[in-house]
Amino acid sequence: MSATQFDLSVVLHGKYAEWLYEGLITTLQLSSISCVLAFFLGLNIAIMRMTSFTPVRWFAQCYLEFFRNTPLIVQLFFWYFGSYQILPKPINDFLNQYNFEFVAAVIALTFYTSAFIAEDIRSGITAIPKEQMEASRSSGFSYLRSMHYIILPQAVRHTIPPLINQFLNLTKNSSMAMVIGVGELTYQARQIESQAFKSFEAFFAATFIYICISFSITILVTWYDKKVLNPLGKGTP
Amino acid sequence: MKLNRRFFLVALSTLTFLSFTKQSYADVTEIKKKGSIIVGVKDSLYPFGFVDEKTRRLQGYDIDFANEIGKKLGVKVELKAVTSANRIPLLSEENVDLLICTMTITPERAKEINFSYPYFISKQKFIVKKGSVKSLKDLDDKKIGTTKGSTSEKNAAAKLPNAKIISYDDYPQAYLAMQQEKVFAITTDESILAGILSRSIKKKDFELSSFDISKEPYGVGVNKKNPELLKIVNQTLLEMEKNGKANETFTKWFGPKSQVPLVRDFKIVP
Repeated sequence: MSATQFDLSVVLHGKYAEWLYEGLITTLQLSSISCVLAFFLGLNIAIMRMTSFTPVRWFAQCYLEFFRNTPLIVQLFFWYFGSYQILPKPINDFLNQYNFEFVAAVIALTFYTSAFIAEDIRSGITAIPKEQMEASRSSGFSYLRSMHYIILPQAVRHTIPPLINQFLNLTKNSSMAMVIGVGELTYQARQIESQAFKSFEAFFAATFIYICISFSITILVTWYDKKVLNPLGKGTP
Repeated sequence: MKLNRRFFLVALSTLTFLSFTKQSYADVTEIKKKGSIIVGVKDSLYPFGFVDEKTRRLQGYDIDFANEIGKKLGVKVELKAVTSANRIPLLSEENVDLLICTMTITPERAKEINFSYPYFISKQKFIVKKGSVKSLKDLDDKKIGTTKGSTSEKNAAAKLPNAKIISYDDYPQAYLAMQQEKVFAITTDESILAGILSRSIKKKDFELSSFDISKEPYGVGVNKKNPELLKIVNQTLLEMEKNGKANETFTKWFGPKSQVPLVRDFKIVP
């Protein structure tokens, strides 16, 4: 058999399949943890960005500009290698005992994505007529409570399509974690490439898996929007 | 009929010519008559074969060996840059007489060409914190850094099944991760490790492991049609070992003052 022949079975059986499976699990863990964290962090940043209290607003603004305007790969290296200089030694020793590659990747992905999510949510909040906020404040709700009960439930629904985008981006961006040695899907595909010289098969399989993950995210979020956030099908205000 | 005869003549003369070229391989007398020997070397692999910045000439460990063999034969040495991919075809097609180009002796290659006795032994070792590791066992449950897609990665995974191998994009990154205690050791060819270590500021804290996990003997490649030449190459290597010239060459490129300080723990033997 010539080495150039397309033979997908190589990566679907034995140890290479195991590697791909390991990579898939790591990618799923990495992106799901980061998705949840990034969403809540982004939500908070968006609220901070909208308050009238100036120092908090400025902080949120700085946060956004910093994390939106630096490449993810730089941030990955920053958290992974830079943390050593910033953190005290006991914490470093503690982190290095565990899977710090993974933790650094989660931190980088969370911060990076949360900045984009915050902007999306902010645009969702601004889409709600400001009279609603005024009405709720005059009914005795505090700023945070009006956000919580009145504004955000509507705003988040507005934000669903761009949020799907951000979750998809995050999943695909998780492939960059391989530069700091996280054994996710792309890393494993590259390992297979260098050991079995089956580049096309390995990346074909990886591509297929990525597409499956992305489709699942889209379907899941759309379903959640339809059935949970908006069960009566009234549509957004 | 006439045409046929002419064709026959042409064919015959072509055949004679071909058989001539086939026989006219560069055996030792031929090389001596020609007055020069063509040696395939690497031209960008420090310190085996590289272009010196000042003199613009090829230099290195391999090239010193080529010159010794030339001296032994009493002929001029013509160096020719080769790559790992084209070197064996170049030798088989007699474009070069010898290959001295960091070529590992392998059974597959030995089917195509003859190898001399090993004149260098490259070993895969580890950089570890000074005094922390005595044997390979000390590494087996640790994190080990290396680079993606290298043979070092494969060897390490095979020899240390319980270790967690973390592959970075290049060696400086792996070394940084080790300084930050993210990995316990890094592994690849000894000469690369020694180069990293000698350039590092923190070199006092680290050392090369005394053990290795693979040995790659480098040999001089000789065409199978030139058994005489192989004999002379082997003779030269043994003589260099005997009169200290081999050791001297090693110290010149891998001595304590060089950029890649290594310990010579091999001898050229049959």
